[in-house]
Amino acid sequence: MSRGAGEESAGPRWRMPGLDHETQPGSDPAEPGPEERIAARRRRIAARLDAQRRQALGEIEEPKEEAEEEGEERSSHKQVEESRQKLAKLLFEGTRMVTDIQVAADLRETQRRAEQAQLKLQRVEKLENEARSSADKFEEITSKWALAKKMTVPQELWQLLNQQQQLCTQLLEEKNKLIGELQQELKNKDEQYVQTIKKQSDDIHLLLERMEEQIRMMLKTYRHNVHQVEKAFELERRELLDNNRKKWEEAIQALNTKELEYLHARVKKVEEFEKQLNQLRVQYEEEYNSMKIHLETDVQNLERQLQHMKAVYLVNQEKLEYNLQVLKKQDEENTIIRSQQKRKLNRLHSLLSNLRTKLVKQEKQFREENQSLAADCERITGQCKEVQRRMRHFAASDAEKFMKVWLMNEEEAKGLMRKALDADRIIHTQQLGLPWEEPHYWFLNNIGPFGHYKAKRMATKLAAEVLTESTSGAQEKKEEKEEVGSGEGQKENTAKAGDTATPLQNISRKTAKRILELVSDESGFLIERKLLGPLCALGKHERTLLRLDSIFSALEIDSEDDLYQLVDFFLKYKAKEGDLSQSQGSPGGEDIADLGEDRTDGESSAQSDELKSSQRPLDSLLSVCIHADDVLKILKAFVQDFHKLREEDSSAKEVLQVRDSSKDGEYWEALAHVIPEPTLKLWDALAVALEEYYNILTRRANLLAEAAVLQQQNSELSLMLEQFITSGVNSMLLSPPVHQMDLNLPCPEEPR
Amino acid sequence: MPQAAGGRGRAIPSLRPSQSRFMADSYCVHRIIEDPEWCLIAVPPLTELCLQHIVQNFTNNPVLDRLPPEDQRKVLARLPTGLPLTVTANLISDEDYWKRCCTDRWQVCDISNHGGSWKRMFFERHLENILKCFVPNTTDPDQVLELIPLCRGYVRKLEVDQFLPPVKEDQKEERDDLSDSGSDLEFGEVCIHHYDLRALVPALPLLEELHLTYGVKECGMNFEWNLFKFTYQDCCNLAAAVKMCHNLKIFKLTRSNVDDDKTRLLVRNLLDHPSLVELDLSHNLIGDKGARAVSKLINCSKLEILHLCNNQISNEGAQALAQALAKNCTLTSLNLRLNHVEDEGGEAVGHALLTNTTLKSLHLGGNRLAEPTALVFSQVLTQNSTLTCINFSCNPIGPDGGKQLLEGLRCNQILTEFDLRLAEVDEESEYLISQMLWANRDAARLQPLLQQPAEPL
Repeated sequence: MSRGAGEESAGPRWRMPGLDHETQPGSDPAEPGPEERIAARRRRIAARLDAQRRQALGEIEEPKEEAEEEGEERSSHKQVEESRQKLAKLLFEGTRMVTDIQVAADLRETQRRAEQAQLKLQRVEKLENEARSSADKFEEITSKWALAKKMTVPQELWQLLNQQQQLCTQLLEEKNKLIGELQQELKNKDEQYVQTIKKQSDDIHLLLERMEEQIRMMLKTYRHNVHQVEKAFELERRELLDNNRKKWEEAIQALNTKELEYLHARVKKVEEFEKQLNQLRVQYEEEYNSMKIHLETDVQNLERQLQHMKAVYLVNQEKLEYNLQVLKKQDEENTIIRSQQKRKLNRLHSLLSNLRTKLVKQEKQFREENQSLAADCERITGQCKEVQRRMRHFAASDAEKFMKVWLMNEEEAKGLMRKALDADRIIHTQQLGLPWEEPHYWFLNNIGPFGHYKAKRMATKLAAEVLTESTSGAQEKKEEKEEVGSGEGQKENTAKAGDTATPLQNISRKTAKRILELVSDESGFLIERKLLGPLCALGKHERTLLRLDSIFSALEIDSEDDLYQLVDFFLKYKAKEGDLSQSQGSPGGEDIADLGEDRTDGESSAQSDELKSSQRPLDSLLSVCIHADDVLKILKAFVQDFHKLREEDSSAKEVLQVRDSSKDGEYWEALAHVIPEPTLKLWDALAVALEEYYNILTRRANLLAEAAVLQQQNSELSLMLEQFITSGVNSMLLSPPVHQMDLNLPCPEEPR
Repeated sequence: MPQAAGGRGRAIPSLRPSQSRFMADSYCVHRIIEDPEWCLIAVPPLTELCLQHIVQNFTNNPVLDRLPPEDQRKVLARLPTGLPLTVTANLISDEDYWKRCCTDRWQVCDISNHGGSWKRMFFERHLENILKCFVPNTTDPDQVLELIPLCRGYVRKLEVDQFLPPVKEDQKEERDDLSDSGSDLEFGEVCIHHYDLRALVPALPLLEELHLTYGVKECGMNFEWNLFKFTYQDCCNLAAAVKMCHNLKIFKLTRSNVDDDKTRLLVRNLLDHPSLVELDLSHNLIGDKGARAVSKLINCSKLEILHLCNNQISNEGAQALAQALAKNCTLTSLNLRLNHVEDEGGEAVGHALLTNTTLKSLHLGGNRLAEPTALVFSQVLTQNSTLTCINFSCNPIGPDGGKQLLEGLRCNQILTEFDLRLAEVDEESEYLISQMLWANRDAARLQPLLQQPAEPL
């Protein structure tokens, strides 16, 4: 729509830019009217189109559009747009003008080509025609050649030949003509070519000219436009500057007025404040004065105080200085002491550590020593025990040996004694002829060493003795007496042995027997079952004996002592029970303790003798009282105590076996002096006499022996002489020795 | 202060006598003490002398990498441009040095043609010069081969507009123009192949552009048809070379008398080329068969730009191209200027463009297109939304055709260039068309401007 309107309005004014150089409209500055108007119109159209397009795009962009419109209204943009349009137009026209030449050349070329083609066609046609006609003519000529062969008449032939020649020349001429035409054409073409070349060079020159001109023009217009654009920009800038300056000035004025107002307000305020300040100043001054007076008094007071304090301070200072000095000194001393102490401490520390190490070492050493010593101790105890054991063994063996040696020596001594007595008797009876009476000495009957206990009888034997005692009490007594009698000589030596026996013996046989019987009856369970059968077959007495035997073996009662102890235990038990039952108030515990003591003391103490002797009357009383039921209890208690007793016994026994050898010397001395002193003197005198007698006798004997030897020699010599004589040798000799020999040799045999 | 300033000012003029003093005898030397003008500035430092020495002996002992950067700069600034390339090629990368080399050697130096690199420019132009002056069978081929290791890292573009034929009794053949034009075909068979690019091109791994013209420049009155002969053997060699050059993007073979057979040969070798983007075969002798071959190439490569202007393609070839175009989706520019496409071909191209969505630029100038084509293209203009540039100049389209096109253009907002000069279109429609084009151009210009602010939303 708009475009159409524009076209219509612009239509008549448009001039077609001609091909020619002269008609070109390029000189824009000369006639800017129409083009500028066109440009403006076009711009408007474009703006309108733009607006339409933007509306079509949507209302969102409207604010921007406004801004753009605003921008577009600016003169500079207008100017830029204008110049751009103008330049584009100019460029287009310029290129068009330049290319016009090419287009024109193209057109000419096409036209030329068209002409050329046409001419070519014509030429070809012409040539063809000519060729055809010439061919016809050539045929005519050739046909006439055939005719000529038939010709015989020379004139005719000549005529014909002339004709032919004419025809040929015609043909040739035609050809030549054609050639000439063609050459003419060629020349024309050449000329044309030269012309076209010229034309083209002209064109090129024109082209160059136009190009140069256009360049020049473009430069000019560009420069012009740039100038204009710059101007427009400058103008715009100036306007903008003016506007801004105006705004600026307005703003500054406003600012100034405002500042003035502020200043006034400020001044007012300042005045007000000054007034207030004055007021306040006066007020404060008064306050200040009163305060000052008050403070001055205060100051005086304080000064006084200060002086006082100063005095105090001085005093204090001196004191403190003194103190300080003292303290310093003390401090010094302290430091010295401390250093010393430290040194000491260090030393002690080192010492301590040394000692510790030493201690550790020592401990170790001692421990080792201890261990070694313990080991030693053990070893030594072991050795000791071993030694003891050995000692015991040796003691036993020594005792045995001693016994044997004793016995042997005694035997020997007795033999010697007997010999001596025999000799004495012989001397008395045979030599002296005196009646001899055998002396009776106490030691003659003694056999064995004095300290040797009599062999302990076995318990069973004793039991049997005890049992049998009732039946043959007298016999028993006798035996005992004998026993005692045998030990009479020893008296005190055997006193102890006697002691041991005496209590038992002192216990009435009856009670003992009774006890044993009770035991055998009540503790039948101790007997082995096997024995029970054969026991029945035996008599009562034997049965009890056997039973007792097996019971003792079960109770490990081996020796006489054990049996005594058993019986004793029974009695004591009874006594104790009796005490308990008789006098409940009496301290039975002491008695029991006494009993224990007694038991430990054993038979060696005289106290026990007393006790036992005191108990003796009780025994008889109590023996009856032993109840069969109590036997087991007593046995039990006995078995418990028995082991203790035994151990004590064993230790006691060893001690007891140290014997007394004081009497031995006497004994042996007595043995040695079995021959009394006067007899010995007698013997000496007798010996002397006998010696003499003996000497005489020996002399006689010697002489006898000599005589015997001489006799033997004599006999031997006579034998030899005989042998010599009998042998032939004698004859051979001048002077046979036989002659010189005494032939009285055989005489020694004669005395015999 | 002024005295000091004066002394300093005098120090510079004192350089000259002090320099001369180096060469002077001992008499001068002992006078140094007495010379009030003498100062230490006059004595060049040892480093300076060393650098001077390095510069003087750079050919024998090129020391550069071990120097500190400042000294390197000094040395490079002083190096002569005539140093052998074997020394400098791989050692010096400094642009200033190569700029000096270029400016010393050539008067006109357009660095924009060579990617903005003076070194690249130097080597490319050096190689081009050598190739231009290469005469087969006389010039030593090592001359080129020796250069390959030096320039292989820098040459990306080769623009050779001259290949010399081998020297062969050139002076002896002094014939007339007549006989010359007639006999050149016969003689051409016997002679003369140009330089074989197979030795060079595959050895340049970076090569991206190859512009070739098989012909002789400025032959003047020594013109011979033979000089412009592009033989079949040459074509074979070229095709093989191009096939081996995998990085090639732009290949131009112009003004080289490439006919149908050679086109087919080339196309056969270019099929499925990995990187070829632009092919220029303008100003040749390509006919319909060649066009058919090229149309085959369009769909078997990545070709985007195709120039076939000033050839002999008529309606059949154009139809073949149009067929290819209808299926194609890579080609963006097609140039068929100065051919004989005519209406049949033009219509075919127009029908193809109804379906094509990639082509942006189309040149059909000078193809004797008339009204029927305009009719088809008015339809194209309404439907196609990619085409931005059409050139119908020098076609007898006529006023009716112009009106048709105008009608078609009314519904188009993409087309920005539409050349209808010398197309016998009446002024009014031409003016209207130009108006609409301007509007389209403005729209196209504003498009990115509009899109830019829209993006953040």
